[in-house]
Amino acid sequence: MTKQQANWSPYDNNGGSCVAIAGADYCVIAADTRMSTGYSILTREYSKICKLADKSVMASSGFQADVKALQKLLAARHLIYQHQHNKQMSCPAMAQLLSNTLYYKRFFPYYSFNVLGGLDNEGKGCVFTYDAVGSYERVGYSSQGSGSTLIMPFLDNQLKSPSPLLLPAQDAVTPLSEAEAVDLVKTVFASATERDIYTGDKLEIVILNADGIRREYMELRKD
Amino acid sequence: MSIFEYNGSALIAMVGKNCFAIASDRRLGVQLQTVATDFQRIYKIHDKLLIGLSGLATDAQTLYQRLVFRHKLYQLREERDMRPETFASLVSAILYEKRFGPYFCQPVIAGLSDEDKPFICTMDSIGAKELAKDFVVAGTASESLYGACEAMFKPDMEPEELFETVSQALLSSVDRDCLSGWGGHVYVVTPTEVKERILKGRMD
Repeated sequence: MTKQQANWSPYDNNGGSCVAIAGADYCVIAADTRMSTGYSILTREYSKICKLADKSVMASSGFQADVKALQKLLAARHLIYQHQHNKQMSCPAMAQLLSNTLYYKRFFPYYSFNVLGGLDNEGKGCVFTYDAVGSYERVGYSSQGSGSTLIMPFLDNQLKSPSPLLLPAQDAVTPLSEAEAVDLVKTVFASATERDIYTGDKLEIVILNADGIRREYMELRKD
Repeated sequence: MSIFEYNGSALIAMVGKNCFAIASDRRLGVQLQTVATDFQRIYKIHDKLLIGLSGLATDAQTLYQRLVFRHKLYQLREERDMRPETFASLVSAILYEKRFGPYFCQPVIAGLSDEDKPFICTMDSIGAKELAKDFVVAGTASESLYGACEAMFKPDMEPEELFETVSQALLSSVDRDCLSGWGGHVYVVTPTEVKERILKGRMD
């Protein structure tokens, strides 16, 4: 008998793109709602955006089963935090928690690519971008997922953030107004949908500001 | 790693109103090591026809020599320059000759056709033509370029605006690609003139 080898993988890639933009007093987090595997679309309305706390929202692409497990774990950890401290977790704290949670599974990672957006303690917009094993950075804007290579250069072009090597450290927030940032997000997704087969169907935009949280939707190409 | 990514490249051609632009990066590398920062990937076939060859640089140069040779023979026999459509078919045929041992190049062809109608085209390494109405891209930065062009392209741009768009798309794309960059080369071709410009970019 010939030697058998494992042909089963614990991972799948369900595609999708996520974008987050931080402004002076707002944060925009967006993702498409398509979930795919290979050349098939599993569903056209699956939200990749998850509200973790009052002022932190996470958008994740990659393997949705891992994403679900990650969201569940973060929700549980956040509930414990609320019981212990009697308050909501801040966005930078949630960012550190997410990093630790991802690194905890360093040798069997969550196959999820996350961007965390929210408002920090001063009410300023903040975006944290991650790799699958928890390496993270606070930035002014970011994109993750299957369409990130198409989206990122255009965001660079429009928002060009100051180099993180500059001294003294410069603020990474974008100069755009909230409405302009939402428009920009719509533009980049419309463009990414043209060329990335894993991005499309519908765009979900979450806007965080001093007034609270707001959601917007835009239809994208369905082919 | 693919042999197409051995030297690194970024190429783009875009159509405007009675004009076109073709641009490339200037890096020549050997995998991650940069060897030259003034490399030419775009070649002139005649006044209204340019070809950019992305992919393996050695094959690009060999292919270019063969194309110049074939174009000269055509000029001698026909006493005129080749139309871009004809030239694209020639490139395609030359590539397909080597169907099972290809030149590791993805060409981008841009020219002004009859009545100065812009023509752009790209093909894979074995000569499958792809004619586009708006823009074509090739090279290691192609995904970034697709994203940038898709967002920035407008139909019927004048030469100056076209130059700006192509340059912005090229520079922002190569900054997200490790294997291309180190400045850019932009040609804007109108019925009356060919404007060649060199762009400064990030040198890292």
